[in-house]
Amino acid sequence: MPKTGGYAVDIELTINGERTIVEAGSETDLATVLRQHGYIGVKCGCDGGTCGASKVFVDGEVRMACGMTAADADGSEVQTVAALGTQDDLHPVQQAFVDNFAVQCGFCIPGMVIQAVALLDSNPDPTEREVREALDDNVCRCTGYQKPVEAVLDAADRMQGEQSVAADGGQPASLGPRGADSTDCCGGGCDE
Amino acid sequence: MNNDDETAKADGGTASQSETVEDERHEEHPLEWDEPENNDKAPDERDSVSHRAEKYDDRKLVTGQAKYTADYEERYPDLAYAAVVRSEIPHGRVTGIDASAAEAMDGVEVVLTPESDAVPNGKYTSAGQSYPEPSPWDMRVLNEHVRYIGDPVAAVAAEDRATATAAVEAIEVSYEEDDYVTDPEEAFDGDAPQLFEDGEVENEIVGYDYDRNRMAHIEGELGDVDAALDGDTHVHETEWETIRQSHANVEKHTSLAYTDEDDRHVLITSTQVPNHTRRQLAHLFDIPIRDIRVTKPRVGGGFGGKQAMVVEPIPLALSLATDRPVLYEASRQEEFYAMRSRHPMKVRAKTAVTDDGDIEAIDLYALSNTGAYGSHGMTVAGNVGSKPLPLYSKVPNARFEADIVHTNTPQTGAMRGYGAPQGTLALEGHLDEVARDLGLDPIEFRRRHHMEVGDLDEIAGMMGGEGAERRIRSCGLDECIERGKEAIGYDDLEQPEEDHLHRGIGMALSAQGTGVAGDELGAAQLMMNEDGSFHLQVGGVDIGTGADTAFLQIAAEVLGCDEDDIIVKSSDTDVTPFDYGAYASSTTYISGMAVKKAAEDAKARILDWGSKLLDEPVEKLETGNGTVYSETSGDSVALEEIGYEAAYGDDEREHILGKGTHCTDESPPPFAAQFADVTVDETTGEFDVHKLVVAVDCGVAINPGMAEGQIEGANHMSYEMAVSEGITLDDEGRAEVTDFDEYGLPSATETPPIESILVETHEPTGPFGAKSVAEVPTNTVPPALSNAVRDAVGVRIREMPITAEKIASKLDERTD
Repeated sequence: MPKTGGYAVDIELTINGERTIVEAGSETDLATVLRQHGYIGVKCGCDGGTCGASKVFVDGEVRMACGMTAADADGSEVQTVAALGTQDDLHPVQQAFVDNFAVQCGFCIPGMVIQAVALLDSNPDPTEREVREALDDNVCRCTGYQKPVEAVLDAADRMQGEQSVAADGGQPASLGPRGADSTDCCGGGCDE
Repeated sequence: MNNDDETAKADGGTASQSETVEDERHEEHPLEWDEPENNDKAPDERDSVSHRAEKYDDRKLVTGQAKYTADYEERYPDLAYAAVVRSEIPHGRVTGIDASAAEAMDGVEVVLTPESDAVPNGKYTSAGQSYPEPSPWDMRVLNEHVRYIGDPVAAVAAEDRATATAAVEAIEVSYEEDDYVTDPEEAFDGDAPQLFEDGEVENEIVGYDYDRNRMAHIEGELGDVDAALDGDTHVHETEWETIRQSHANVEKHTSLAYTDEDDRHVLITSTQVPNHTRRQLAHLFDIPIRDIRVTKPRVGGGFGGKQAMVVEPIPLALSLATDRPVLYEASRQEEFYAMRSRHPMKVRAKTAVTDDGDIEAIDLYALSNTGAYGSHGMTVAGNVGSKPLPLYSKVPNARFEADIVHTNTPQTGAMRGYGAPQGTLALEGHLDEVARDLGLDPIEFRRRHHMEVGDLDEIAGMMGGEGAERRIRSCGLDECIERGKEAIGYDDLEQPEEDHLHRGIGMALSAQGTGVAGDELGAAQLMMNEDGSFHLQVGGVDIGTGADTAFLQIAAEVLGCDEDDIIVKSSDTDVTPFDYGAYASSTTYISGMAVKKAAEDAKARILDWGSKLLDEPVEKLETGNGTVYSETSGDSVALEEIGYEAAYGDDEREHILGKGTHCTDESPPPFAAQFADVTVDETTGEFDVHKLVVAVDCGVAINPGMAEGQIEGANHMSYEMAVSEGITLDDEGRAEVTDFDEYGLPSATETPPIESILVETHEPTGPFGAKSVAEVPTNTVPPALSNAVRDAVGVRIREMPITAEKIASKLDERTD
């Protein structure tokens, strides 16, 4: 079961670019708090850190939101899958998951997408092995990983193409603040 | 010589087949099939079918906007949360429940025990099957007689999850313990502790014998197997064992119940079987069917684990008791010990084979451990024989028997493959071994015997009763084998340079069904809007497979419009027509055919309006590109204009509605050929699976991208059966697995690359030639991998999982 309880504390979070103060139990996990505030793309498939479905960015680092307390994230910038793209304007990683039929039930996919974006930020041209290693703690029961791995490799190709455009003033391909190589834009965490 | 033999047999076989089409059974299943008009479009004539259309819900899924059951939480501010007290002993009676401490806790709304008024006292089955259920009514919602560690004893509703969990921990249950039995062979022995008394179970299943803990016995025979085994043949016998596999659906079993403003009871629930669940709840709670609504939002994986009414009665009882909406979400630990799993089985295979390599008889026997309750036990065991045996329906004598026994262990249920994985391991491992013992090529040996187009599958009838035989009208097995061999590199395998490493390839065939012959129903309704778009209401259930998208493609193909011009609403018993649910690989075939019929019905009305507007006879008109057009004049009228005219036009105005219902006695098998490429270290037994290739004949793939995804996912699940331990139990039957890490699901790095190959055939009984795809590749990796290890280092592993330790031990035995 999700961890809740403890004494009530005020926690300041910037969620997908929006600063907010939430009241939560000191023991309450971050996934529960995010979900209570409508960020339902944060999924809970296990009860604490073994399936990867709750992955979010906390100050640019990939974390399983069910495996940390919200209090531990106090003062942090949190980005969920909802920050990456909209249904009309998908992030290249999301688009590649759609185009490669890598999504079946979709429950694990937000966590997979977050992890894939993080991988491509630090390693824009990964090998298949490196993609598999990156997704190693994301449990997907439907796909057998073949198509998600193909999707991430495809996204890498697309984003490399886009980055060459971006160098001439195009849209940045990924979230900025947490990426080692890209610090010029919030990359979808804001409306710019 | 083999080739000559094969030619002779092939010719002879065809001739004798046509000669024997005399008796009534053959006539009931003619090869010629009265295929519906426009069902057999060539690939280049298909606009929507066979197109890699984007999955209908994908954009919502990748952006995290799609709603699963737990995501409805925010809609109900007065929601209460459920938790369940479960038995901590394997067998015994509850003598007392002290809930006073829990009831005194702030935020606890109610504690229900077996005595509570809101808890139904009647018996039921959790198996989500058609009516009357082919499963025993042996369960209660909350139990005084507990039969496994995990049996529900009490339930709590509280303000929040933490309070509900704390309340469960505060409830003291005292028990009088009985002796227990966890081993199925011991349970069947006669002297074992008994789980059920005679007369205690309603709706008993054929062959039940509760003195021996047997919930069912099934058997069927064609020809005379004993005579063939006693004849002048080589008799081979082998025994195989499979794991207790978890569905491991990433979305846990989740269900939300409330009573709406019209006093009707609503379940938002993660299920594969909304209509069966509605009927079962109505029966159990004595509420009219009409007053229950079961609706399914996105479902985070089912795989058969949700083809059961596993959790729904708990939130419904709690919502009745509290007059509040109640959400019950199982914990991940509960998923492993209190939801469902694949039946662990021992399967014995025996054959009689002549010196020339002709199989005279196949005899399979399965001992299935159904756990504490019966559920899908009988039907799953039936499929151990009835799915793989038809692959070799040319064999003149065949027999299958199974005993399904109770033990004080967690409950089993339906799981993808539904018995076929256990039977396929035994049969395909056994035949491989027989071929090798006789010095025959295992692939050619199979080719001499496997099923072909035109064959009458009498084995399906042997298990399903008279009339259940089926004619094989599409079979791509030969092409599956050829393309699989090529993709795995069968003919040019290179051995490693190191002497202690040996590389081998194993293969296995598989057949499944498509729906349950004579026991399926799907229905659909198509409403045309005045802007020329459509609403498709279909009872068929998308549990992540992409069924909604397949329905849209089928409807769009008929209507000649874009998939985007159709909105699909599936699986809400208040809104959508009746459907048996997502199981038995039936969805595209049965519900999809209902969609096709509904679309054709609507199309007939649309063409009438087109005829009126274009002033041309209906016979000259066709739909396409969002219009009705004349094949002679070339004139056309947009569907939008027809929509407005039909709704607002002359005195004959109408709402264009199409309806379709489909049920059938047919259940065409899809086929697969699996290959596994492995290198084994002879010094340690360690092995490396380089690649899995699986070629599948699913008829026409409605959406090739989705079909490949189904195949790869199924093959991954099959690989897990071959190499993972599954849910292990301690001596008392307590699940030792509490989370994914302990379960040992192969991760992305632990899973070999999987190549899926679609072999297109045309199944005339299916929508646009489709049959099923999602189950058949679940059956094949355990035998293919066992066969590959045998090929590489000459030892045979028959007990799953295949591990380095087991291989090393066999290698040691060999050298001793």
